[in-house]
Amino acid sequence: MPSLTPHSPANEFPDGASLWPEDLDRREFIKVMGASLALAGLGSCGRASKALVPYVVQPGEIVPGKPLYYATAIPVEGYGRGILVEAHEGRPTKIEGNPRHPESLGATDAITQASILDLYDPDRSQAPLARGHAASWSAFEGEWLERRQVLLGVDGRGFTVLTEPTTSPTQRREIHRLLDRFPRARWYQHTPLARYDSDGVQWDCDPGAADVIVAIESDFLHRHPAGLRYARAFARRRRVENGGIRANRLYALEAGWSLTGAMADHRLPVSPAGLRRVLDAVSGALDGNATDRDSDLTPDERHFAGLMATDLRLHAPRVLCIAGAEQPVEIQRWAHAVNHRLGGAAALERAGGAIRSDSDPRSAGGLGELAGAIDRGEVSTLAMLGSNPVYTGAADLDFGRRLAAVEYSVHLGTHRDETAAHCRWHLPESHYLEAWSDLRGFDGTAGIQQPLIEPLYGSRSHSEIVRLLADGVAVSDYDLVRETWAPRADGADFEEQWGRWLNQGWVDGPAGGAGRERGTGFQPVLSPNPGRMPVPRWQTGAPARPSPTLLFRPDPVLADGRGANNGWLQELPRPFTALVWGNALQVAPEFAAERKLANGDEVRLEGEGRSLVVPVWIVRGQAADCAVLHLGGGRSRGGSLGTGRGANAYAIRPQGSPWEIAAISCVKTGGSVELVSTQHHFTMEGRNLARSLNLRELPRQARDPGPAGSLYPAWPREGHAWGMSIDLSTCLGCSACVVACQAENNTPVVGKEQVARGREMHWIRVDRYFIGEGMDTRVLSQPVPCMHCENAPCELVCPVGATVHSSEGLNEMVYNRCVGTRYCSNNCPYKVRRFNFFDFRAPAESTVHLQENPNVTVRVRGVMEKCTYCVQRIDAGRIAAEKDDRPLRDGEIRTACQQACPVEAIVFGDLADPQSAVSRRKREALDYALLGELNTRPRTTYLAKVINPA
Amino acid sequence: MAYGVFEYYHSPWWTRVGFSPDQPVPFSHRHHAGELRIDCRYCHSSVESSPFAGMPSTQTCLSCHSQIFADTALLRPVVASLEHGVPLRWHRVADLPAYVYFDHSIHVAKGVSCTTCHGNVGDMALTAKANRFDMRWCLDCHRSPPRAVHPAHLTNCSTCHR
Repeated sequence: MPSLTPHSPANEFPDGASLWPEDLDRREFIKVMGASLALAGLGSCGRASKALVPYVVQPGEIVPGKPLYYATAIPVEGYGRGILVEAHEGRPTKIEGNPRHPESLGATDAITQASILDLYDPDRSQAPLARGHAASWSAFEGEWLERRQVLLGVDGRGFTVLTEPTTSPTQRREIHRLLDRFPRARWYQHTPLARYDSDGVQWDCDPGAADVIVAIESDFLHRHPAGLRYARAFARRRRVENGGIRANRLYALEAGWSLTGAMADHRLPVSPAGLRRVLDAVSGALDGNATDRDSDLTPDERHFAGLMATDLRLHAPRVLCIAGAEQPVEIQRWAHAVNHRLGGAAALERAGGAIRSDSDPRSAGGLGELAGAIDRGEVSTLAMLGSNPVYTGAADLDFGRRLAAVEYSVHLGTHRDETAAHCRWHLPESHYLEAWSDLRGFDGTAGIQQPLIEPLYGSRSHSEIVRLLADGVAVSDYDLVRETWAPRADGADFEEQWGRWLNQGWVDGPAGGAGRERGTGFQPVLSPNPGRMPVPRWQTGAPARPSPTLLFRPDPVLADGRGANNGWLQELPRPFTALVWGNALQVAPEFAAERKLANGDEVRLEGEGRSLVVPVWIVRGQAADCAVLHLGGGRSRGGSLGTGRGANAYAIRPQGSPWEIAAISCVKTGGSVELVSTQHHFTMEGRNLARSLNLRELPRQARDPGPAGSLYPAWPREGHAWGMSIDLSTCLGCSACVVACQAENNTPVVGKEQVARGREMHWIRVDRYFIGEGMDTRVLSQPVPCMHCENAPCELVCPVGATVHSSEGLNEMVYNRCVGTRYCSNNCPYKVRRFNFFDFRAPAESTVHLQENPNVTVRVRGVMEKCTYCVQRIDAGRIAAEKDDRPLRDGEIRTACQQACPVEAIVFGDLADPQSAVSRRKREALDYALLGELNTRPRTTYLAKVINPA
Repeated sequence: MAYGVFEYYHSPWWTRVGFSPDQPVPFSHRHHAGELRIDCRYCHSSVESSPFAGMPSTQTCLSCHSQIFADTALLRPVVASLEHGVPLRWHRVADLPAYVYFDHSIHVAKGVSCTTCHGNVGDMALTAKANRFDMRWCLDCHRSPPRAVHPAHLTNCSTCHR
C-alpha cells in the first residue's frame, strides 16, 4: 500500500519551543510558536504502524499487562523497612509499604516513595573509574589481586575499610570475614546522621500506650527509623471515631520546627541552654521542690515546665519521655530517668542490644578515628563502601585533603560524588532494588532485601565488593545472603522457608508464624524501685544575653544529602518553609528583626574558625536565639539536579559537636538570593479553611450551617459515589502523599525557575497554616487534592467539555479535549488544577521514563491536569470485582495518597454505602467542607483537628 | 474540499478497515482458528486475566511447529527467532491510541466475543482490521450494552481515558 500520509517529523516542536529563556522576547516567541503550530498541523497526520513484540520464551510468572508485586526491604539509615514493589513486565514502577511488616504497616514516607526514581537516575555511576577515566571491572579485579597479595603478606597492615553502620547480617558477616582474613586490617564506620543506641543499649517505645508524651528535640513521628510505626500508634490516640476519642497529650520542646512539634498540644520553642533549664525545673517539680530554680526561667518556660510536671505526675505511669537521637547523652539519660521514676519505662519502654553495627566490638571507630589513623600513616589502602565522607565529613576533618595522603583508595557508590573524585578507583554500586541483601528493622525484625531487576549498569552490591576485597574472587550477593541464612533452617527445608521469607518480606521461625526473627530481645525496663531512680540535674546559670546557637538538622527530605539528585525530593516543599530546590538558615522573626533581615538576605555565619554564607528564611514559632540549618545542601558533585542547591552545612560543622554550635556570629552580608517557596502559591487564606477545636468542645459541629439549598437538582446518585475524607487531627504534614501521587500519576518535575512562577505540578499539596502567637503558635497541615465537587465550578466554564462529571461523581479531565484555556483553573476555588505550560516530560531517551505508570497518560504541553481520585485504581478494582461477579469491597480501592499515609488520615471509598469507612467518617460532627459556603458540594471533606491542651 | 475531507475520513483509506499490514510470517487465522478450530485463548492466553490479550511467544508457535512444517521456508523467521533469541515483530492490526485504556478481560467476562470487535477472524487468510476502532464505534455498544449492567458508568470518560 503506498503511503498516503506524510511521515510525521521526528521532533514535533523545534528546539527551544518548550523552553522559556529569561531573555526570550515577544518577537522571538511568536517566531518559535509559529513554527510549532505549522509543524503541529502536519504532525497529527502521520500514523506509523506499531509493533507487537511477544517474548521468545515467556516467563511463567509474567502475564503481560498485569503488574507483579514483590516484597523487599529498603534501608532507612541502615535499618530495614518492609516494602512491596510494583513491577510491570520486569520494570519496577511504584513502592508501597508492606502491611505485614512491623516497621511499615503498609505505609511509606516521602523518601521511600521517591527512592524508585533513584533507580532510574540518568546520573548514576555506570562503570568503574580509574583516576577519573572509564575502566572495566576486570581491570580493577586484576589490580586488586596484586594489591591483595601484598596486603596478605603483611596481615593486612594498612588495609582500612570505611562503611556506613548497617543492620544487615550478611554485610556484617562479610566485614568480619574480611577482618579474619586480614587480622591487622581496620574497619571504621561513618554516618553524618544520629545513632540510635547509647551506652550500648537501643531503646524502643510504644507511644500508643502513653497518655502523656514529652518529645525533647525529637521528631519521633517522622525522622526516625521506626517513625512509621510510632506515627501509626500515636495517631490511633488522636482520631475521633463515632464521636469518641481517648486522646493523649503531646508536649514538645524544640528550637526549630519538627513535624512532631507541629502535632504537639503544648510546644515550647527553646534553645539548647533553655532546654536544660526547663528540664531542670521539671526535675525539681518531680522532686517536690518546684521553686528552687524557677527564677532562671522566662515566664513562658515556667508556665510550660509547670504544666508538663503536673501532667507527668498526674498521668504516671502512662507517660513517656522521648529525647531526640541527636541530643547529648545527658538529655537521653534525663528522659529515661523520668520514665523510670514515673513508671512509664516498665510499660512503655523497651531496651535491647544495638541492632545497627555502630557499637560493633570489631569496629575501630568513626571518621574522626580514621582521620587520626591517616595522619599517623597507618592507612595505605582505604576502601570506602557506600559512604561519601568527603562531603558528609565534618569541616575540621577536611577529609578530602587527608584522603590525598592515602596511597590507594577505592570508593563504592551509586554516584560519581565528592568522594569518588578524590579516589584512585570509583566502583558503581547497585541500587537497593538491584541487589540482594538482608536488613533488620528498628525492632529487630529481619527481612530479605530481594532485587526487582538486574543491575542496569553492571554495578555491584556492598557485600559483593567486601567479598571481592577479601578473597579476590567475585561471588554473587544472592549466594552470600543465602550463605548467611541457610544455617537458620535448623534441619527444616531451607528452600521452603527461603521462599516464604521472600514472599512475606520478613524472616520467621521454621514453623512459620512462630515469631519473627529478632536480632536482640527487647525487654521491658524493670526497675526494682521506680520511685528511687534519681533524675539527673545540672547546674545552669540564668539566661545570659543570647548569642545565637546554630543547630544542624537532617534535611526533612534529602536526609544527609543523598537525595540531592532526586527531582521529586528537591521539588517537594519542605515542611514549615515550603522551600524547594535548596535550603536556608531558618530564623525566628525576632532574630531577623534584630539583624534587619528579610527572606533571602544572605548572612555570614562564623563559628569555631569557619564561615559560611547562607540565605535566611523567617519561620514563626522558632526559638528566638537559635538558627536552624539543614544538612544536605550545597553538593559540589551531586549530579545534574543536585549540584549547588542551597548551602553546605557540613562546611562549618564541627566534628566534636555535630548538632550545634553554641555561639556563632551571624552578620548580614548585604547580598541576597532568590529562594523559592510555595507557601503562597494557590493561596486561599483569610477564610476559615483549616479548622481546629479543643477536645472539651466536642461534640461541636465543625461545619457551618449549610446553604439554604440549590436551584440545581441534587446530583443523581446511581451506583457508586466516590468520596474522600481527610483527618486533620492525625495528618502530620509529612508529604508522603505528595510523592506517592507523583509516582503513581506520572507528575513531572518542573525545576526551580518554573516553581518560582507557580507552575509546580503536584496534584495534592500540603497547605500549612500558622495559628496563634508566641508559645501558642500552632501549625495546621492540610493536604488539598481535587475536591471533586458535585457542583463543580470548573466544569461550567470549559468551552470544550474537557472537564466533565462522571455518573459516580468524579470530576474528570479529558486531556484530548483540552485546548488549554485555563478557564477551569481560574474558576476553581480550591486552586488544585495544574497546567502544563511546557512539555515537562524528560527527553525521550531518558531512563526516568522507565518509572512511569503505564496505566496513566503522560501529559503533554498545553493541557490541564489534576487529581483523578486515582481513577486507574478505581477501574482496576471495579474490573477485578466484576470479573469475580461480586460487589466491590470497602477498602479494596485505595488511592495512592491514602495507601502511603503513615497515619491513615486519608480515607477513600463509596459514599453510597452507609457502612463504608468514608461514610462513617463523614458522619462525625467534625466533618466540614472546604469553602462549603460556595455550595460546590465537594466530595472530599475534612475532619477538623482536635487539640488537647491541658 | 470539505466534502472531500469528509469522504476521506470515512473511507477505508483513513479507517484502514479491511487492510492487513505485512507481517513477518503470513500467519493465517483461517487455517488455525477456522479450519483447525484452535481456541483463540490457546495463543492469546491472557485475554481473560489481563487488559492485554497477549501475543504468543515464539515458543508457543513452536510447541506445534517443532513437529509440523518445521523446516519450511515460511516458518524460517519463527525458527530463527528461537535460535537467536530475537523476538518476532508483528504489526498491529487493531490499534487504539495510547490514551485509550482498553481492557480485554472485562469485555470477555461480560460476554463480548472476540469476533464482535475483531470480525470473523476464522475466515481471514491474512488478519485484517474488521472495524473502525474509533470512539463512536466503541460508544455504539457502551451506550446500549446488550446486557445492561451499569449503563451509566459505561459512558463516563474515565471508563476508557485516564
